[in-house]
Amino acid sequence: MKSRKIRMKKQGLIVLLAVFLLPSCMNEPAVQPNTHEGNFQALWKIIDTRYCYLDYKHINWDSIYTVYHQKLPAAKTNIAFFDLLGGMLAELKDGHVNLYSDFDLSRYWKWFQDYPDNFSSSLIEKDRYLGKNYRIASGLKYRAIDNGHIGYIYYGSFADGFSDNNIAYVLSSFAACSGLIIDVRNNGGGSLDVSKQLASYFFKENTITGYIRHKTGDGHSDFSTPVAITTPAHKSIQWQRPVVILTNRMSFSATNDFVNRMKLAPNAIIVGDKTGGGGGLPFSSELPNGWMVRFSASPMYDSKMQDTEFGIDPDYSVNLAAADEANGIDTIIEAAITLLK
Amino acid sequence: MKKAVLVLFVLFLSSIISAQGFDDQKYLLTTKTNTFGISSLRFLDPYLSPLIYSGSGVDFNHESRRFLSLSNTHISIQNRYYLVTGVADNPAHTASMFYFGANYSWGMHYHFRPAKGIQLLAGASWDLDFGFKDVMRNINNPVNLDLATNLNLSGLARYDIALCRRTLRLQLAVETPVLGWMFVPTAGASYYEMFELGNHSNLSHFSSVFNKRGINPKFTVDVPFSHSVWRFGLGYHELKYKANDLVFKRTGFSLLVGTTFDVISFAGRKKQAPHNFISTDE
Repeated sequence: MKSRKIRMKKQGLIVLLAVFLLPSCMNEPAVQPNTHEGNFQALWKIIDTRYCYLDYKHINWDSIYTVYHQKLPAAKTNIAFFDLLGGMLAELKDGHVNLYSDFDLSRYWKWFQDYPDNFSSSLIEKDRYLGKNYRIASGLKYRAIDNGHIGYIYYGSFADGFSDNNIAYVLSSFAACSGLIIDVRNNGGGSLDVSKQLASYFFKENTITGYIRHKTGDGHSDFSTPVAITTPAHKSIQWQRPVVILTNRMSFSATNDFVNRMKLAPNAIIVGDKTGGGGGLPFSSELPNGWMVRFSASPMYDSKMQDTEFGIDPDYSVNLAAADEANGIDTIIEAAITLLK
Repeated sequence: MKKAVLVLFVLFLSSIISAQGFDDQKYLLTTKTNTFGISSLRFLDPYLSPLIYSGSGVDFNHESRRFLSLSNTHISIQNRYYLVTGVADNPAHTASMFYFGANYSWGMHYHFRPAKGIQLLAGASWDLDFGFKDVMRNINNPVNLDLATNLNLSGLARYDIALCRRTLRLQLAVETPVLGWMFVPTAGASYYEMFELGNHSNLSHFSSVFNKRGINPKFTVDVPFSHSVWRFGLGYHELKYKANDLVFKRTGFSLLVGTTFDVISFAGRKKQAPHNFISTDE
């Protein structure tokens, strides 16, 4: 009887100890020290475990570690160290990957620098197009062109939101037009909500226009099941005549998303150059020294589950001709006008 | 003249009777305490950053307690509202986090009185917890929310020290979560995916001592003055929880000061104020 009591006491003690030792199951992740070595390790690991395109782009991140880690002892100053880390990130060839410090922003811009501009702001401000007396409704610059037959909107950033009232005024001003051009060249992106909103005016019914996934583990291909991205049809404002979307390589990120949506809009045609891509929804993290890193975290796909990271091809590929440009003519807008006639 | 004296005597007598009536009748007092604090805060939120953010803030706490009924002076009911706001920086001071937290709790305690001047209160509480964290420079993951409801074990120890001119009350209050529910975002998933696109998988978690542990001891001293009782104290809280392979931690230490007082409420037909209580409704 006595031994039973002792045994019960022991068991009770074990349970009590187990309860109070439970925090050991909730260990906080180790933080690297704020040294060049520690910051290098922290950045390499963030990309290794959270960047979403390592496998898709066939990047051997381990060998990149080896190459850049060898260069680490030579990076004595903060600027040299920053350039080293920036160079390592540039291997990802991703416009959504940046390192932010107090003195610089690392970036990879070859996704548009290695391609023709296919856009000139001075061209669209010729009297033939926007001219000088165009109207502006919350970031939407608009005017009827081609003797009032075609509506033209230049939209330079999806960070500039607009209301239904804005778009209602813009579209009603084009009531006599047979078609509409939405120019999103050099639009580097912004909000996905605004991209969805602008696309919604051109859909007759709710349509699945893409998918998104996110990383679920440290493995390079550990992804969640795809979640559908639906473009809703706006309930009261709909443009049901033809619409042409003008694109170039600088149509990036949320603009890439807008073009992807408009690919499935009933009366829409994409004209110009391939978009710049930026299909990975970027996230932020930071290094022990306080530098922030932005990286693609959630890959986005088109309606056929094809990755949109490298851009979206236009329906009609048109480049800005130098001869036209010299004569004040935007070849891509002219091609759109021809298609709408 | 005799009539006048009689009327005055009757009025005097009736006032004594009504005063005696109030004296004789028992009323439940509610003890209310309001304290303001200055806090040091620390946050680990791996959804926002792998680094620990530390800073300072201010908080307000309102507590009220009354016995269950006139006939039961062993069980008391406690209500508490707690608000805290502050700003914290990453270790390199290159980014800031704005924090706002709110907590409502309702609990019951059994009062043990082992000796004169000593009270031990043991019981449980249920709370609703909300927190808003914003690292402004982040892109697509700038905000994270703490949403939880918990069943807590709670206890208080009170010791009254009689000095020559006043009696000080020392109090130690402790609470710890046992069971509950909590919202935890999926690592790597944006709020756009979770709420705009409706991917709610793995956001809702049952919590227990296996994945959520916390403690918030608060030591206070109540000091009576001529017309008020002031409360001074030190508070500490630590909360740690894990879900979706993310470990979150929130700690704080605060210096607090406030007042505590007893009130009585009259409302409705059955709880009307005695006639010698003057209300602005009259």
